[in-house]
Amino acid sequence: MSQLIEESPAATGALAELITRATKLYEDLEFKTVRDWKSAEPSRRAIGFLPVYAPREVIHAAGALPVGIMGGGDQIEIVRGDSYFQSYICHLPRSVIELAVSGRLDAMEGFIFPSICDVIRNLSGMFKLLLKDRWVHYLDLPQNFDRAMGGKFYRHELATIANGVTALTGIEVTDERLRASIALYNENRRALADLQALRAQRPWLVPATEYYLLQRASYLLPPEQHTAMLRDYMRLSSQSARAPQDNIRVMVRGAFCEQPPLGLLRTLERAGCYLVDDDFVLGARFIPEPLPEQGDPWEALIDGFLYRSLPTASKYDLHADKEAEIVRRAREVRADGVLLIAPSFCDPALLDQPMLARALEAAGIPYTSFKYAEDTGQFQVIREQAGTFADAIKLWGNA
Amino acid sequence: MAITAGIDVGSGAVKVAIVQADDCIESLRAHYLERIRRRNVMEVVEESLAAALREAGIRRDQLDYIATTGDGDVIPWRTGHFYGMTTHARGALYLNPEARGAVDIGALHTRAMRFDETGRVQQYQMTSQCASGSGQFLENISRYLGISIDEIGPLSLSAKNPEKCSSICAVLAETDVINMVSRGISTPDILRGIHNSMAVRVAGLLRAIKVEGTIMLTGGLAGDAGLSAAIADKMNEGGKAVKLARHELSVQAGAIGAGLWGAFRHRKLSEAGQLGATQEASDGAG
Repeated sequence: MSQLIEESPAATGALAELITRATKLYEDLEFKTVRDWKSAEPSRRAIGFLPVYAPREVIHAAGALPVGIMGGGDQIEIVRGDSYFQSYICHLPRSVIELAVSGRLDAMEGFIFPSICDVIRNLSGMFKLLLKDRWVHYLDLPQNFDRAMGGKFYRHELATIANGVTALTGIEVTDERLRASIALYNENRRALADLQALRAQRPWLVPATEYYLLQRASYLLPPEQHTAMLRDYMRLSSQSARAPQDNIRVMVRGAFCEQPPLGLLRTLERAGCYLVDDDFVLGARFIPEPLPEQGDPWEALIDGFLYRSLPTASKYDLHADKEAEIVRRAREVRADGVLLIAPSFCDPALLDQPMLARALEAAGIPYTSFKYAEDTGQFQVIREQAGTFADAIKLWGNA
Repeated sequence: MAITAGIDVGSGAVKVAIVQADDCIESLRAHYLERIRRRNVMEVVEESLAAALREAGIRRDQLDYIATTGDGDVIPWRTGHFYGMTTHARGALYLNPEARGAVDIGALHTRAMRFDETGRVQQYQMTSQCASGSGQFLENISRYLGISIDEIGPLSLSAKNPEKCSSICAVLAETDVINMVSRGISTPDILRGIHNSMAVRVAGLLRAIKVEGTIMLTGGLAGDAGLSAAIADKMNEGGKAVKLARHELSVQAGAIGAGLWGAFRHRKLSEAGQLGATQEASDGAG
């Protein structure tokens, strides 16, 4: 039994089994789940995508399984990955290279690198050099949010992805197929929104580690399976005997790309923080509202990205009011405080941080900040910081 | 008036305090300490809480709030958890209302804090990962020297010519001790040398937080008279008058502080009409 289950004594029976399944998916760096899915039908293909967001509906409509590649976390030793990057580069690309050169990504026939930062752009180039037999595409997401300009550009990008995946699967992305994929992912969006609502309302029913594992599962499972998993979890957790504790409600921002280790989430919760909102595995709910299932499906995806996606440091929208948004969201989820965290050397997150901090300060919302890496193993300092933050809010703040 | 339990899970022992408090009166109904001795921590916690409740003459379901501190964050049936710095400051203030600073020397680390008259921590410093300023280190040394932990303080106070010992690293310090033994240095002089080296670290922490007046010693090593004397000597070296104080319940400071903060939270939540949720937690304890 995993450490996680031992630390969730209220998770018993079917709920514990479900969490164990999600934990195994999280730990599956050999992508056995993907290999198993492919082995059921020899013509099946899998496409890996890097953080933050890739239009999974297009990949799915072309008959392939979209697979999120979130790095190696704290589970793999970096042997060759370090030699590809300078010491001032974040950790995620090192472990992704390690996954690639060790053959762990062999289950995937293609890779999509969304444009979020220079490091990911560089990584896509390395993949082109290293994996010459695979389809590697750098997805240039629009930075112009005018429909006539950015929308037109994005339509071309979506078509390029569709053509790239179709070349691997032989399945053309028709409007009908794309609408069906959108409908499937919409069901997933609704389930994810319900889960978020549950944890914002009764966070003791949805521990941060479990919420996180469920988000990660969406990057490996076909959407209908993941939706079923979410629905089962909500039913089982709501029936569990989990009792509330006197914790503060915390919102987390800055972890949209390189992911924190599970131990860090556990540390925050143990320090007295309920995580009621975060941006971990952000791509899973980057467009939180269901997209239109009628009309032009390409337009639905374009509209979703341009006007309905969540603001984040790696989405370069000049007109997005990220300061107002963080304050609005913190109030919406009734956060007592905000944790501005960031992976070490993550330029997008760290460059946004002073602006977000200023907005929170002006709004009178307590915040604290710290850095992490995906393989951080020592949590004492974070425990101390989160603990004093929680105490200050509980004893002398508004909580 | 709220009745609360404060549970301080340390690396060497579990401490429990049963506290009764409102905004005017604070009283300690019972306290209990049990060393862990390689047993299952949760079992020790259960036993200790039961013993403290027996001593206080109250039932578990009468507790309004179960507050944990230290490694007590592993206890799933807690009402709330408070960080060690917050609870030791509050416990120190309860034990000595004149105190405005505290040094918590536990089995694995040492922390110094400065606080105001309400127990609110204003500044703190703690040792890094090295064990050379901790109780675990002293326990190892007592084993090498073949003496019990209780003998350390009195023997140290009887030292004539304390030996110099590394204050940087436990490994180096232990090597120093082995050399001293082979050179025939007396046990009291070795122990005072170790206490002096630990005092250098503690004094550094206290100076960094600029604390003045009465400083309470808390944590597992608060009862070590030799260490207390060494810290006092070191602090007063520069002619600065610092009063180092101890209390027979110093080791319980974290648990007492947790209990008191638990009562405070119970009152605050009650006034805000938010008691229902946490009440559910303490009723379901265990």
